[in-house]
Amino acid sequence: MNFEDTDFRMEVLDIENPFDVKMVYDFLKGLGFEYNTGDINYTLILYNLNDEIIGTGSLNRETLKYVAVAEKFRESTAFSLIVTSLANKALEKYKRCFVFTKPQTAKLFKGLGFSELATAEPLFTVLEFGYKTIKDYQEYLKTKKVQTQTNDIAAIVVNCNPFTKGHKYLIEKASKENEVVYLFVVKENLSVFPYEIRKELIKKGTAHLKNVLILSTGPYIVSGAIFPDYFIKNESSNLISEKQAEIDIKIFADYIAPVLNIKKRYVGTENYCPITAAYNDAMKKILPQAGIQVVEIPRITSGDDKNYISASKIRKAIKEDKLHEYLDFLPEVTQEFLLSQEAKPIIEKIKKNESRH
Amino acid sequence: MQIVKKAQAGSFESSDIMVLVEPSEKPGRYIEIDSSVDIQFGEQIEYAINRKLDELQVIDIHLIAKDKGALNLTICARVETAVKRAAGVQKGFIP
Repeated sequence: MNFEDTDFRMEVLDIENPFDVKMVYDFLKGLGFEYNTGDINYTLILYNLNDEIIGTGSLNRETLKYVAVAEKFRESTAFSLIVTSLANKALEKYKRCFVFTKPQTAKLFKGLGFSELATAEPLFTVLEFGYKTIKDYQEYLKTKKVQTQTNDIAAIVVNCNPFTKGHKYLIEKASKENEVVYLFVVKENLSVFPYEIRKELIKKGTAHLKNVLILSTGPYIVSGAIFPDYFIKNESSNLISEKQAEIDIKIFADYIAPVLNIKKRYVGTENYCPITAAYNDAMKKILPQAGIQVVEIPRITSGDDKNYISASKIRKAIKEDKLHEYLDFLPEVTQEFLLSQEAKPIIEKIKKNESRH
Repeated sequence: MQIVKKAQAGSFESSDIMVLVEPSEKPGRYIEIDSSVDIQFGEQIEYAINRKLDELQVIDIHLIAKDKGALNLTICARVETAVKRAAGVQKGFIP
């Protein structure tokens, strides 16, 4: 290897520039990646002095993506150079960074100090690195743990975008059937209703249930980093979202449920969102193996049999300015909130927004 | 020196060490070391880091080190840079 080959030059790609994007697209295509600028916000390229592309890597917020090095430079330091640089960039803003990669390349990242969270063969392994890791999240859970007499300990994961009577029913039912219910509220702020508001409405709406404990999911349950498809408007439930769901559920079963001794997970039947439906199916496959029972509760209706209560219907109604027809779906706290001044900016946002969540 | 924000120094490359530091939640030093030569040099790495922190008069810190076989002087240099960045006294870097 001569001098020109080993002296690297790093550049940040201009994602707005179609010429640059095409160059990276073509480079990655040759290595079997489908480069899509829609789900990234930062890309860097490594050249040598002969202007050959040596490698590239991208970031989607705190997640490393499309890290690839040309075949003939794999013996060089290019790979660790790219990963170091991306990790530095991510850690400026976030407490940790994640990488999604193929199981067979996971060992390269482990060699750089990343630790594995979960694997869904044959597509993905998720690894993390940073100031805070899943151990810190487990410590947080331990401080919230409640001592119980029985093994009737349940978990529910909700986004509540916004909080409906359906959510309330599910939580009330779990509360009645268990000694303790850990209610995880999806923290990721990719939904139209911000986390603080979703959490506040749930808190008020479940205040009468003394055995329900509200917890934050952190970045480990249904987060944009680990389960991006839930937040992307992609409607087709394919192998990729199935495998993402598998990772998400494995993390729940391996790291979260054991700390809190969770024995049941309550879910509502899903009639509308294929990605959530696939998630529920994956749960029924994986959780029983870990000794966790999946309790699926049929959705409740309002008025006639077919009129299922759903938060996506509410968002649709807001978009079409027909909210008053759907007020029946909502508990008082949410009704009050949506009719208040505070909700105005969110309602405006929904009206402009195209996304499902 | 007082750690006021998170900062990092070093890289994942061979013979280098990546040092992440941030303010600790509780008083004291919290040092986590992950090294490819842990069995042979783990204690020495920790010793080197601690002496450097003594020298810089750092009392409360959360430090994470991912080592790839760095020599002592590299370890000290990375720790010093990370601490100075985190204390807000060091700006920029020499590539």
